[in-house]
Amino acid sequence: MDRIPVDSDGPVIQIENLIKEYKSSDGTIVRAVNNVSMSVAAGEIVGLLGANGAGKTTTLRIIATLLQPTSGRAQVCGHDSIADPVGVRQSLGYVSATTGVPDRLTARELLTSFGRLHGLEEDAIKDRLDWLITTLSLRNYIDRPAGRLSSGQRQRISLGRALVHNPPALVLDEPTNALDVVGSRDLLDTLDHLRESGHAILLSTHRLHEIEHRCDRFVIINTGHIVAVGTRDELVGDSGELENAFFHAINRGASS
Amino acid sequence: MKDLPQTVAAHDLAQSRPPEGNWFVAIRAVAGFQLNRLMTRPRLAMGLIGAVFPAAVMFAVIRTAPIDRNMTVVMIYALIPEALCVLGLLVTMCPVVADELERGTWIHVTVRPGGRQSLLLGTYAAAVLWTGSVSLVALMLTLFIAQPTQPIGLVVMFTALIGLSCVGRAALFALPAVILPKRALIASVGVALLVEYFAGLLPAVVNQVTVSLRLRSLLVEWMEWQKDLPIEMTLFVDDYPALVQIVAVCILVFILLTTAGFILNRRQFPPSVEN
Repeated sequence: MDRIPVDSDGPVIQIENLIKEYKSSDGTIVRAVNNVSMSVAAGEIVGLLGANGAGKTTTLRIIATLLQPTSGRAQVCGHDSIADPVGVRQSLGYVSATTGVPDRLTARELLTSFGRLHGLEEDAIKDRLDWLITTLSLRNYIDRPAGRLSSGQRQRISLGRALVHNPPALVLDEPTNALDVVGSRDLLDTLDHLRESGHAILLSTHRLHEIEHRCDRFVIINTGHIVAVGTRDELVGDSGELENAFFHAINRGASS
Repeated sequence: MKDLPQTVAAHDLAQSRPPEGNWFVAIRAVAGFQLNRLMTRPRLAMGLIGAVFPAAVMFAVIRTAPIDRNMTVVMIYALIPEALCVLGLLVTMCPVVADELERGTWIHVTVRPGGRQSLLLGTYAAAVLWTGSVSLVALMLTLFIAQPTQPIGLVVMFTALIGLSCVGRAALFALPAVILPKRALIASVGVALLVEYFAGLLPAVVNQVTVSLRLRSLLVEWMEWQKDLPIEMTLFVDDYPALVQIVAVCILVFILLTTAGFILNRRQFPPSVEN
């Protein structure tokens, strides 16, 4: 299979010393992300693991230019999220747990609209739609209003929306949250295919069992800090399961 | 799941890159997307009611007592550019941020190259088009009911007033929509009452920054009512030529949209803000 062209030799997604602070309602500063650094190469799936409130979503949204870091930097294909946010957005697809697919629109209408948002010509959108229909198996419901579709079908449309401009980097924020077992497996199988075609994929989840054998590397984050990084084998060691390693890393991080 | 076809490589990354500065395409795409979302049955029914309402009021009035051409013009002005346009824009412009956050579409739209600016300007364009269209239908129905003399001149004049009302007030409502997204409707109603209907009627410098002063002044000039206007009424209109009034609205729109865009770009919406 041919690989997707990437216009930089280094990691496709790279973040360095990322810090994000929010001001809470009582005026205190809350550090949601604390000195996080990581990278994702082309053809790699990296799992970002953590409990609710660990800082996963904030990290992913900084990468996607949706939030600005307090300090540190995030780059996608060499484009800095602050200095060149448009470059980042052109190189990135973003999928979240909430699909945000309008009930009244069909998948075809939605994907066409988002292709136009990327400035694609109508012919290019048509080609791209054909590719998405085949790749994501959308054919049976491409012209059905999204309100009549299942959660899994809507999430596939959401993935199609993220891929409509053929980005080399893909960021997914708990994409399987609303899906059943079949829908989850289907989506993760698609991610396997996208990895084979050279996409760099950063995937956050707290459903460890689903991705244990799919990710090339894992980054475990707790209360904004990275507490462990490595392949499954490196993290699991003698503990047998990723879940044990996850709890071990979190407890170790909390006590240090 | 199908195997990935070879076309994955054929789609070179460069193909997906819009030309630099292709704002118009992004704004048009957002406007199309928003207009498509406005074409729901409840919204269409709301538009239909809005279009019929001024004609119904006019019908009720002329059935009670015949009114002259000037009174017809004043009624149409109050019902359409002043009332219907404001109501339509409250529905379509105010939710520019809040709707996206609540529906979970915010992240998907703003992560596109045009980002927040194209969302703001695209929604602005959709709000102006939708409200303007409803108002024009209302104008035609009301004129049909009122049957005034020289209707063509009135159509041209009110089309211009409706256009200016829509572009001006939509920009005005963009500001509370980005500053207080969760309370945008209430804030915009407050802005409409305090700025447009109260400050706009104050015979002071503050009324210079309102759209209502410009529209009133244009109405008086285009209807050639200056000479017949009671002296106390001259306090509520501006005697600059029409072109100055139109340029003033354009400058106001530019300032309001630039400010709204600047604020929107700097706003941080933590994940907890979304439903």
